[in-house]
Amino acid sequence: MKIQYLAVIFIIIILPISVILNGYTRSQVETLDLQISYDNKLNNATYDAVKTFQLNTINSDTSDLANSKLTDIEASANIFFKSIANNFNMAGYNQDVLKDYVPALVYTMYDGYYIYSPYTNTLDDKNEVEVIGNGGVEKKSDAQILHSGNENATYKQGDKISGIKPYISYSCRYKKGNDDFVITYSLDNYIVIQGMIGGNWVYDSGYLLDNVGGTGNNMTYRGVPINASENLTETVYVPNEGLKTLPCIKINGVKYYKDNDGTWFSIMNEKKYKQPENFEERTTAGIKFYQKAQAFTYKVRTTYGLSDLTGEHAVDENEHTIKEKDENGNDISNNNKFGNYPIFSDNSNSIEDPNSNFNQQRLAVIRYTIEKNLSIAINNYNNYSGGVTTNFQMPKLKEDEWEKILNNVSVISFLQGLNIGGKIYNGYSIITNNVTNEVVNEESIYIVTGDNKYHTANDKDLQSNTNIKGAYLNLDFEIKTVQKSDGGNLTFIPRRKKTRRHWSTRSIRMLF
Amino acid sequence: MSDSLITIVVIILVAILMFVFPLMTVSDRSDDTSQLVVDTSVADFVNNVRTSGKLTEVQYEKFVEEISSTGVAYNVEIEIQQRDETPGKKTTQVSASAVSDANDAYITKYTAQIMDELDANHEIALKQGDFIKIRAESKSTTISQQVSKFLQFGAANDTYAIAAEHAGVITTNGK
Repeated sequence: MKIQYLAVIFIIIILPISVILNGYTRSQVETLDLQISYDNKLNNATYDAVKTFQLNTINSDTSDLANSKLTDIEASANIFFKSIANNFNMAGYNQDVLKDYVPALVYTMYDGYYIYSPYTNTLDDKNEVEVIGNGGVEKKSDAQILHSGNENATYKQGDKISGIKPYISYSCRYKKGNDDFVITYSLDNYIVIQGMIGGNWVYDSGYLLDNVGGTGNNMTYRGVPINASENLTETVYVPNEGLKTLPCIKINGVKYYKDNDGTWFSIMNEKKYKQPENFEERTTAGIKFYQKAQAFTYKVRTTYGLSDLTGEHAVDENEHTIKEKDENGNDISNNNKFGNYPIFSDNSNSIEDPNSNFNQQRLAVIRYTIEKNLSIAINNYNNYSGGVTTNFQMPKLKEDEWEKILNNVSVISFLQGLNIGGKIYNGYSIITNNVTNEVVNEESIYIVTGDNKYHTANDKDLQSNTNIKGAYLNLDFEIKTVQKSDGGNLTFIPRRKKTRRHWSTRSIRMLF
Repeated sequence: MSDSLITIVVIILVAILMFVFPLMTVSDRSDDTSQLVVDTSVADFVNNVRTSGKLTEVQYEKFVEEISSTGVAYNVEIEIQQRDETPGKKTTQVSASAVSDANDAYITKYTAQIMDELDANHEIALKQGDFIKIRAESKSTTISQQVSKFLQFGAANDTYAIAAEHAGVITTNGK
């Protein structure tokens, strides 16, 4: 056969194969590109949500009160949906359509979390009130008034509404003999105990710390004496008076400042409210913190007798021990979910160490609570997903992602069900909020040395530098915006001279 | 005679295989690189505006210069949604400077208005809670599109080959 014929036959065979393979590879690449693009859009929208939450809480005087926090979360969720709608406009989606693909938004806080997801509006159908109807005064319940036929109602009985569900704490119930109580954990070593212990009702809370020594005003931590001469000040904008640096204290979530004339005041909604009574300046907050932590740790182990409490005592709502589950969701009989080690006793580690039994239990409880409730919320979303036919399920998060969630205030968002060519998109994004007054960790503290250089709290350079001038919270370097009396905005950086936590400057230096 | 015909067919096929297909592959790769450059430039531009709170003429011109360096002409669309606060509906615990109350409305400005304002004032100040969206899409045909058109005898898709879009919330007040 002539070579020309062979060449033509070769081309006829190879060309279609290569065109088809090329087309297939291109479609796989485009699917992957689209997946990465969607991941980026989701990350951007989640970042915008976190940033909005950060800005609102930094600029608010009441950000740690529950209803103020709910408003901030609503605003943050609003921005998330707006941002994701803006980012997806290229694909032709708008805000309401995209909501059908977001089964849940999770806002993890200091000692619990909120889930923002759809729910069925269920109104009270038992308690009746007097209303004026067509036949005069009638008695009707809310469900009867706001029934589905009522065109004037904004939210009717049975409507699908997106909103924030009730707060879920990082709690675990324990049953040990006749003791039946709940421990609520947090992102650090603060716990709340409530329930029956030793036949008595107990409601107690505090920090758990080992290595605290001394008595009275002579407290030490890991051998380092705690300084008692703190002068806690804060830079604040006082309406009609401008920026001032004043002593301040915080009681029940409200900050009080001591004016130059010795009187105390608080600021709410850009107005100054003078207080009728004077407060005591807190110069010994650090010492009191260690005293209380020492007493509480002793009480937990000895008075309440919880030194032999283990994960085996953890029970669910049906009072069954919480066990590990296999792939089919059945209990594995010999494996306790939370282990068999004593939670509050550890021969090898201090209770506040990362590897301590207490910390392992804390992380396990927080993870279990989030996984369980989030799986239920996302699974239930299948009842609300409108025209979307995807089966929504909670994705498996990686260990480094759990590490982020369990140690920081964060926002977790999910986006599922979008068609990206070769498959259905199932993505999530976890963005942590490192600038918050909810929790203070090592990354939140800056230490300034005599040469005016700033260091993080675990910077190795501090070991050789003994001239520490002060310490600041990272929150104090965020720009704060307030509205002035004349209606304009004032921005300033409220850098305080010392932190309000228990680390004194000398103790930080001596710890490294 | 048939030998000559086959030879000519083979030469044409070989020419296509040896020249056109590699050209198509290389121009596809070039389009991918241009896409990456445009994606990065758009994202950087949006992030600059978000973190500075200002859209300036200098930033805009630098952005257009960067994307034009790919050798393709682009249509740039800018959309700014400025938050119109609703002070009357504030609760006692919400600060007037809060970002995104659920009752906020947005006033949208489009490319033509924005360009007029940039020409007049050289910058536009934005505030926390405003939104900016920037989209760049190619308006001239790339080599890859021309080669595809040739191979498909003019039936190829005439829509843009390179497009990028980025949006986000403004995180600081520009003034």
